[in-house]
Amino acid sequence: MKELKAFFTKTPTGGIFLALILVCALFSSMTSRFLTTTNLSVILNQVSVNAILAFGVTFVIIAGGIDLSLGSLVAVCGVVVALLSQNNEYGLWIAVIGTLVAGLALGALNGIIVVLTKVPPFIVTLGTMTIGRGVALILSKGRPISDLNESLNFLGNGDLFGIPIPILFLVLSYATCHILLTKTIFGRYVKAIGGNEMASYVAGVRVNRIKLYVYMISGLFAALAGILLTARINTGQPNAGLGFELDAIAAVIIGGTSTRGGKGTITGTLLGVLFIGVINNGLDLINVSAYWQQVIMGGIIILAVVLDGLYQKLKMNI
Amino acid sequence: MKLKYVLFAFILFVGFSCGEKKSDKIIIGVSMLSMQNEFIQQVADALEKSAATNQVELIIVDAERSSLKQVEQVESFISQQVDAIILNPCEFEASSPAVDKAKKAGIPIVNVNSSTKSKPDAFVGSDDAESANMAMELIAKKLGGKGNILMIQGYMGQAAQLDRERGAKTVLAKYPGLKLLASQTGEWDRAKSMALMENWIQSYGDQIQAVFAQNDEMALGAYEAAKSAGKNIIIVGFDGSQDGLKSVQNGQLSATVAQQPDLIGEKAIEASKQIANKQTIPAQIAVPLKLITK
Repeated sequence: MKELKAFFTKTPTGGIFLALILVCALFSSMTSRFLTTTNLSVILNQVSVNAILAFGVTFVIIAGGIDLSLGSLVAVCGVVVALLSQNNEYGLWIAVIGTLVAGLALGALNGIIVVLTKVPPFIVTLGTMTIGRGVALILSKGRPISDLNESLNFLGNGDLFGIPIPILFLVLSYATCHILLTKTIFGRYVKAIGGNEMASYVAGVRVNRIKLYVYMISGLFAALAGILLTARINTGQPNAGLGFELDAIAAVIIGGTSTRGGKGTITGTLLGVLFIGVINNGLDLINVSAYWQQVIMGGIIILAVVLDGLYQKLKMNI
Repeated sequence: MKLKYVLFAFILFVGFSCGEKKSDKIIIGVSMLSMQNEFIQQVADALEKSAATNQVELIIVDAERSSLKQVEQVESFISQQVDAIILNPCEFEASSPAVDKAKKAGIPIVNVNSSTKSKPDAFVGSDDAESANMAMELIAKKLGGKGNILMIQGYMGQAAQLDRERGAKTVLAKYPGLKLLASQTGEWDRAKSMALMENWIQSYGDQIQAVFAQNDEMALGAYEAAKSAGKNIIIVGFDGSQDGLKSVQNGQLSATVAQQPDLIGEKAIEASKQIANKQTIPAQIAVPLKLITK
């Protein structure tokens, strides 16, 4: 009991964790179909793409930046992996690694423009978002790319030891990002430059280099998300990923990462992602009208963040 | 330094004015709803192909789903004094000003595929409600008039979604044995519809007998989800897109209602050419639909 209390009061993610439990309790009281192992596995499977995107962009946001090009990067990388694995021309690994490299390069492009031009990242990535969408359309000639390698489909819909592969990717990405952020010097630098860029620079942190790296991380995970999405729906689509950046950024913020940079956790992001995923799933299960779904979704998100704020204040007083 | 800019501007100016030489060919301005949609893309391809054989020149622009942009595009067609305009409207109400403006400027305008509140000189396309009717009738027949159905809708509030819903519901009203378990939006998107179908399989499981999706993309998403869950469900799509047709051929989707983009494009070019040449044409040019089954 003591530990439980400590968890809720000490960890920065306690508030959103509480909110997540509340919505879960709400949905399971409304339908018996919610709290089943298959449904929970369905939810994890569905959130994997958003989770992987959100993990990557958490670094960017903690470092005080933003990446609006995520959705377009997903589309470009989704199309690239589809083109590379069409008609079995190359092996699966070449397609996957080629796409990850492409994602890294596109992320680096974001980073280089941000660092060199000093233009706010909001504008830079808004620009690359539009460019990316265009590139995806050019590469695919505006059409969905189908007839993909069977082994790619396996990445999206198969399972290993009874666990769906997208969930394995989710867990691996979580572990990697969590360790990178909390256990390495790089992670400390990311928080430092997000907290106070000037001070970090004076203290000898290579600010530009770290900034470049965070955009590359974001690009790399966007590529992974693009691969999984293409694998899941078995086609590369130039219009895939529309608005994904908003879901990912929303998850990061719901998870308690400050939009002003400097602080945040990967665990928080994961909880934010699950929160959005659970609401999406639950609203379908209880069959809320399509018109009302969006209203309720938006309302719950605002409510969760407001409650989290209140909770943080309360915690200070304990 | 300054001289350089002046020179540059001059070259630009000369360059542009060279390009503006008017040919004696008929010029048609085309504003399409969204080139990111496979079906619209097919109509656009057909327009271009038919323009080449009919010796007319096309200026095709993409409204990117924005009716405001669409109106602006039509305004610029008017100032370019094109001979006719082909409009693939974004919205029923909001794209209407484009039609009004063209008519006021005396430029003939032909609507393609969806309609606007203001009446154009001609409409070329198929009736969405009637086609949804065909799809639902097929499901009713396959289920023997009795069973549970799910409907995946397009973007809520768009003309295509409203018409297809209306068409489907008239059939449902006709067969009291058919029950609509749920209907939600899949936003015309394959991934979204796959997630929706997964959720439905969780809540309705084996009760689900058939799915009507308002386009092929969403039908294919539903199919992927059903396949992963090992469920055998009748899924009927809409549009007859390349992927959709292939899937019907492979016995995955049960059927799709094919609009005929090639024919729509061809008839639209013919109509606007005739109208630009001051010939009279019928106000409604219906392009027939085909129910495609294996």
